[in-house]
Amino acid sequence: MAAALEAIGLNKRFGGLQAANDVTLAVEQGEIRGLIGPNGAGKTTLVNLVTGVYAADSGEVKLAGESLAGCAMHEIARRGLVRSFQVTRLFGSLTVRENLRTAFLARRPKDASDGEGQIERMLDLTKLKPLADAPAKKLSGGQRALLQMGCGFMVPGSCYVLDEPFSGINPVIKDAIIDMIVDVNQRHGATFLIVSHEMTIIRRLCPKVTVMMEGRVAAHGTLDEVARLPEVIAGYLGKALE
Amino acid sequence: MFSTELVVQTAISGVMIGVLYALMALGITFIYSIMRMVNWAMGEFYMIGSYLQYVLVAFVLGPDLWWLAILVSAAGVFAFGVVVQWGLIKPIFKKPPEARDDYATVVTLALLLFLRSVATGLAGPNQFTPGSNLPIVMVGPMPMAGARVAAFLFALGALALFYCVLRYTWYGLALRAAAQSRVGVQTAGIDVLAVDRIAFGIGVALAGLAGALLAPVFLVFPTNGLITTVKGFEIVVIGGLGSIPGALIAGILLGLIESFGAAFIDSSYQNIYGFLLVIAILVLRPTGLFGERGREA
Repeated sequence: MAAALEAIGLNKRFGGLQAANDVTLAVEQGEIRGLIGPNGAGKTTLVNLVTGVYAADSGEVKLAGESLAGCAMHEIARRGLVRSFQVTRLFGSLTVRENLRTAFLARRPKDASDGEGQIERMLDLTKLKPLADAPAKKLSGGQRALLQMGCGFMVPGSCYVLDEPFSGINPVIKDAIIDMIVDVNQRHGATFLIVSHEMTIIRRLCPKVTVMMEGRVAAHGTLDEVARLPEVIAGYLGKALE
Repeated sequence: MFSTELVVQTAISGVMIGVLYALMALGITFIYSIMRMVNWAMGEFYMIGSYLQYVLVAFVLGPDLWWLAILVSAAGVFAFGVVVQWGLIKPIFKKPPEARDDYATVVTLALLLFLRSVATGLAGPNQFTPGSNLPIVMVGPMPMAGARVAAFLFALGALALFYCVLRYTWYGLALRAAAQSRVGVQTAGIDVLAVDRIAFGIGVALAGLAGALLAPVFLVFPTNGLITTVKGFEIVVIGGLGSIPGALIAGILLGLIESFGAAFIDSSYQNIYGFLLVIAILVLRPTGLFGERGREA
């Protein structure tokens, strides 16, 4: 079976900076893969290359074996590759409910109903019901992160690429997001690639991690395996992970 | 002394013209809020709307079907706007160059000159009027030209329709979402360039509608969109760029100020009063009455 998500020899240069240098990785169907690395390692660049925000200088991305070359961002999203942003990209003046509705309508299956039931379920799941009619810009950082996840899960995708979904939010909301990820992974068999600095969560969620350093893939393996590699330790300025 | 009656009359005529100015401003601000570009050729879409209205009323449908002519003119300008977006604007947005809005400025300025030249070439520098056989209507104490009242009512209807589309339809939701975050809508699987196409079409159709409605009042000639465009931009500055309520309220405000200035100070400076308001707003509140600083959540 083809990997759920594959990057093959991706290169991207910004001026003098080689932000992605021959990046190759494959995430299997139903896997939750961690993507770690020091700041500036090229993790977000990789996310942007995979989801069509940037066009790669060379290399290819495949979703379930099909090339995404030449696909616009919205086409990639409609094929079931859903992403989240480190800095949430919600619709600030739209209400929480309207944010969820926007996420639903564009990607809904052809035979879907209006999705209002799904919106209510998502409001319950994210515990954002009391704020359903408040504009998204009134939410706290953690609530925004939750809402962003809720939007991503409105229509189950086949593959999720999450950029720092846990950064800067309180432990209760972190747990809520972890539960949502596990739930979608188990019920729909969705694949995840999660960029995070939160090693405890990565250890909990991800049997395997990929380490990036200076635009390259430095290692694959379990967190404990990669944490012992001299190159990884050096890349984190000598600090052992955690 | 000023009579109450004169004040009421002045207020009524100010509101009536203000709503039409607001259509123009709404078109400018709507396109800006979604595409982050200013369409400098708005006045030429107004001009096309007015020519379409003239041709339809004078040669095709006749003056009794003026209302149908207005609908057809607005729809025609919408269709033309869609073609312009597809042919001239979309290529800039597809692979955005470094200074995307500068390109958009140059392209729409070129379009402005082109469309004016085409109008002059086809119809000459003459002034036309579609005429109107609508009777004089009493608005409160004041007799008003039927065409003006009809224009006002039509404009109100268009504004209500515009509001309902934005508020209650899926397209409206996509348009409002795109105004908040273009990256966000693409992540949600929405083709932002298709949203642009609708937004540009609606925006210029509002200008075309204003042109068609005002054709019997302000006449039809190649540069007739200029004054209304300038007023549209004044309103956008007063109301705040990107703000839809701002465009409406500032439009009416501008209509009132011009009307009162003309009635009580000097009518030959009618076009100056709005500028004074613009200057005051820029000094006191540079983002406009309803302007926002940032919009992404």
